[in-house]
Amino acid sequence: MTELQAGQGAQPLEVPRIDARPQRYRDLLIALAAFSVLALLPMVFGSKQLLDFVIRCAAYGLFATSLNLLVGYTGLISFGHGMFFGLGAYGFGLMMQKTGVPIPVAFVATLAITFVVAVVIGAICVRLKEIYFAFVTLAFQMLIHSTILSWQSLTGGDQGLRGGIPRPPFLGIDLSNHLHLYITSCALLVIGLLLMRQIAQSPFGYTLRMIRDNATRASFIGIDVWRAKLVIFVLAALFAATGGIIMALFVSGAYPEFAYWTISGEGIFINMLGGVTTFLGPMVGTVLLLILNDTVTRLTEYHGIVLGIVILFFAIGLRKGLMDFVVEWFAQRRGEGRG
Amino acid sequence: MTRTRKPGISRRSTLALMGAGAATFAAPWVARAQAKTIKIGMPTILSGRVAQLGTSSRNAVMLEVEKVNAAGGLAGRQIEMVIRDSKGQPQEAARIARELVNTDGCEMLLDGEASSGSFAVHEVARDLGVLCIHTCSEASSLTADPKQHIPNAFRCVRQGIHDSIVGAGYAAGIAKAKGLKKWATCSPDYAYGRDTTGEFVLYLKKFAPDVEIISESWPKLFQPDYTEVVTKILQAKPQALYSCLWGGDLTSYIDQANIYAMFTQMEVFAVNMADYTALTVVKNLPKGIHSGDRYIKTFPPTPENAAWGDAYKAKYNEYPTNWSWQNATAVMFLNEAVKKANSTDGKKVAEALTGLTIKCPFGADGTVTMRADDHTLVGYAIGWGTTIPQEPYVPDVKAGDWKTIFELEAEWKKSKGYT
Repeated sequence: MTELQAGQGAQPLEVPRIDARPQRYRDLLIALAAFSVLALLPMVFGSKQLLDFVIRCAAYGLFATSLNLLVGYTGLISFGHGMFFGLGAYGFGLMMQKTGVPIPVAFVATLAITFVVAVVIGAICVRLKEIYFAFVTLAFQMLIHSTILSWQSLTGGDQGLRGGIPRPPFLGIDLSNHLHLYITSCALLVIGLLLMRQIAQSPFGYTLRMIRDNATRASFIGIDVWRAKLVIFVLAALFAATGGIIMALFVSGAYPEFAYWTISGEGIFINMLGGVTTFLGPMVGTVLLLILNDTVTRLTEYHGIVLGIVILFFAIGLRKGLMDFVVEWFAQRRGEGRG
Repeated sequence: MTRTRKPGISRRSTLALMGAGAATFAAPWVARAQAKTIKIGMPTILSGRVAQLGTSSRNAVMLEVEKVNAAGGLAGRQIEMVIRDSKGQPQEAARIARELVNTDGCEMLLDGEASSGSFAVHEVARDLGVLCIHTCSEASSLTADPKQHIPNAFRCVRQGIHDSIVGAGYAAGIAKAKGLKKWATCSPDYAYGRDTTGEFVLYLKKFAPDVEIISESWPKLFQPDYTEVVTKILQAKPQALYSCLWGGDLTSYIDQANIYAMFTQMEVFAVNMADYTALTVVKNLPKGIHSGDRYIKTFPPTPENAAWGDAYKAKYNEYPTNWSWQNATAVMFLNEAVKKANSTDGKKVAEALTGLTIKCPFGADGTVTMRADDHTLVGYAIGWGTTIPQEPYVPDVKAGDWKTIFELEAEWKKSKGYT
């Protein structure tokens, strides 16, 4: 008899339900406001670099925030999350190059492929804990990376998908137009973040936090830990793949580097920079890392040293991500104000 | 009344930070207003394992740009190079290339990327329509594949297929003379290694039909330990070995194979040996390794080439690399094309570049050509010779015949479905 069945005879407890709707509306309003600001940005600043920057933020931001669903919310430190970023880029790129289907179809089909792969890999990985989970995800990532390198006839090997990704217009949207690509990326980013926020704030999200804090206790109160972990692993993979699709559209290609462990490493680094205890931490980390990367590589080729010092500052100096620090600082200030 | 300062970031410094951030992005970069100088952007690899690719490319470009500027610049405009590190990541290469054109106001691109990075920059050139010369990527498909063809992109680089044809012709001659029938191959396991080795073997068998490949090894790129590979080859007992390992991989391989006295037991053909990056690093360079010319100042044996190699060494205190001559040639091409077009307009320069033949220290006959139909470099000095442990390292290089190269390259293109 499982724990769940054991509890079935007892009377259900009357738990006061908190109405989540006002918060949901608030999130929706913030998302709409954020999208409006992003959409108005090109009218205020004519800089194409700014648009490129936001497109890259959308790709990495979705990727890093989805990683935080695993790292921050569930306590699953995945070293192989980049494989889904790569899978998204390659799936979409190949679909567009080989089949010529409309972009929305390729988008959905890529997510479907990612879903299947993530279910298979997740089913094996989420059984494991801590370092074992981290290393098996890394091993799967290297497997996918090696497959991309070896399957030359399909993927072009180390030279990547060549010849550009065709982008036929659909519903009046022409993704070969820079502005259209920008607006679409912003929309995907905002919708993606909103969906992930809903996941994080839902009862399921709180189940994940409980698993993170004490998986044994969660299991004893009747939660199927393996299934919950698998569900979030697959959902996170879908958002990471969406990030990969945006990146593939941005560079008009897909390259094995997208599925390499360094991408996963960057995701972890972004989470460290931005902080894992707030939902927007990884997004802030993304903006921070990309600004750092873009300005430092402009100034010196010894960017590795500069970025290394920044990591040290966050890891040893602050001992937390920027958003964690800011949130604590505000709380402290408020406390002082009251005192 | 005393004012107490709260710890943390002040409102003023927050505003200053935000201002600085906004200025970084909003500034429309006055670059375009300074029309007198012409900016040329160059994404390349300046950090990591193959940083030498970027640094030796940059050195050669700056050497040539100084000459052009001293002679009055491009159509009277001084060249200003904007060179950035992509770390060998294609997404960074694409971003930097776009930034160089869109924000820094670069009117042309020299693409110093290798492999996937060059394809990423190629897509940027396709998207933005900017004139782009690839200067480091040897992947034949970059220009041979008609899907890749765009009117504004050129490639000023040697090619794997050319090397394989010349190498196989040279090797077949030696195979016949010395009766080398049993061959082994050992090349890095990625597209360049597989393609180049496949093409070499194809042409070797064409020129010397009784050759047989008895062992193949595919070590990983940047593999540190080759013991397993070396012993596998020794056990197979081939009479000759072909390898297209390069750079640090090749030097590690030779150092480790030396321990087993491999080079006394078989003839070794290493296409990428005759490059100073490899020749000067190997601890005990064995005598008699057959190699293609990458860059060597004694081939082509002309005073112009020797003078160029010496000038580079005098300025940077090291010898140029294969990437160096290619980048230098790209600047020479730009200079001549601008003169011919009498304009720095990208479209006009691209038209002038198409089919252009220029005088060049690295030409087989003193000239090189940007072939019109596939926008790629031909006519450069290409040959094979054997090594000695000290300068000039490869004293007697046998030049390849471009007529044969053209014939076989055309057949190869047809077999690949490119024509």
